[in-house]
Amino acid sequence: MEIIELASGERKSVIITETLKSDLKNLTEDRFFFNWRTLEGSPVVYKLQLKEKNGILGVMGLIHFPDEARVEIKLITSSKENIGKKKKYEGIVGCLIGYACQLSLTKYGEMACVSLVPKTEIRQHYIEKYGMEDAGWQLFLDGWRLLNIVKKYVLCM
Amino acid sequence: MYVKKGFSKKKLEELAEDVVITEKLSPAQEAEARKQLAAARKKTQAGMTEQERLIANLLQLKFRLEEYINNREYDDQLTFGYFLKEYLQLIHKKRNEFAAEIDIHETLLSQLINNHRAPSESVIIRLELHSNNAIPATYWYRLVEKQKEHFIGTNKDLRKAEKKFVKNPLRVSI
Repeated sequence: MEIIELASGERKSVIITETLKSDLKNLTEDRFFFNWRTLEGSPVVYKLQLKEKNGILGVMGLIHFPDEARVEIKLITSSKENIGKKKKYEGIVGCLIGYACQLSLTKYGEMACVSLVPKTEIRQHYIEKYGMEDAGWQLFLDGWRLLNIVKKYVLCM
Repeated sequence: MYVKKGFSKKKLEELAEDVVITEKLSPAQEAEARKQLAAARKKTQAGMTEQERLIANLLQLKFRLEEYINNREYDDQLTFGYFLKEYLQLIHKKRNEFAAEIDIHETLLSQLINNHRAPSESVIIRLELHSNNAIPATYWYRLVEKQKEHFIGTNKDLRKAEKKFVKNPLRVSI
């Protein structure tokens, strides 16, 4: 998986892993837009880092629904320096959504699904940018839509 | 809502690129959302082509293999034979049919699936070619190596049998 350093245009490899207990104290509202220690529903929290150096650039909370062959995104935030027009890297959110699709595909194969309940004002953004399908409350990726995201963000095709 | 209230629509649109903000639903809304999603997925699943199903299942096998060979833990169930059998199942091939496609004897294929024989380099390369590079030869190779590493590292009988061939071993220990 890769993100783009906007100043140089270089592609940088990233890794995504589950957060450790010791990471949580650094995931503050000041740095990550939200105090991740207070996230409800006990999601599994993943962090995105550059392969070449430490430091968390993005965080994602997922809830697994094995009975429904589905993974639900509860929240994704980039680090403070990666939000807005002056951000350092492009593609953090895309890689994290791609990783959620990869996890779902690894567990559920052709039945894989990733969903989220976005705020009404920004539903259209996820439909347009990631090709998400509208299911009422939820937006979701499955079938070829999910495969496209995996190809783009995980396999970098 | 999973973030503080009070953002304008414009601010939310700006943030959407770098932050995914979700709504918190009531239990009733949650139940409704699940029903809606199940209905919508039924349609999209029905519309999936055989090719899309095959790609999804091939990627599942690739990611499972990747996860296992990159993990330090050893699992004696997850052998070369186990993953090869999975591959045959997902491409819907009978053993005789698949053996013919990679030009090996059916008996050899059964031995490989039952872990009675280790695959040669040729077999590993033919598997990569058969999958049209979906499962790289290096993945199969690393899987075999992982089994071998475990065998070499833990086999007490082998050590016992070989001990009589070693004379004058070093007396220092590190």
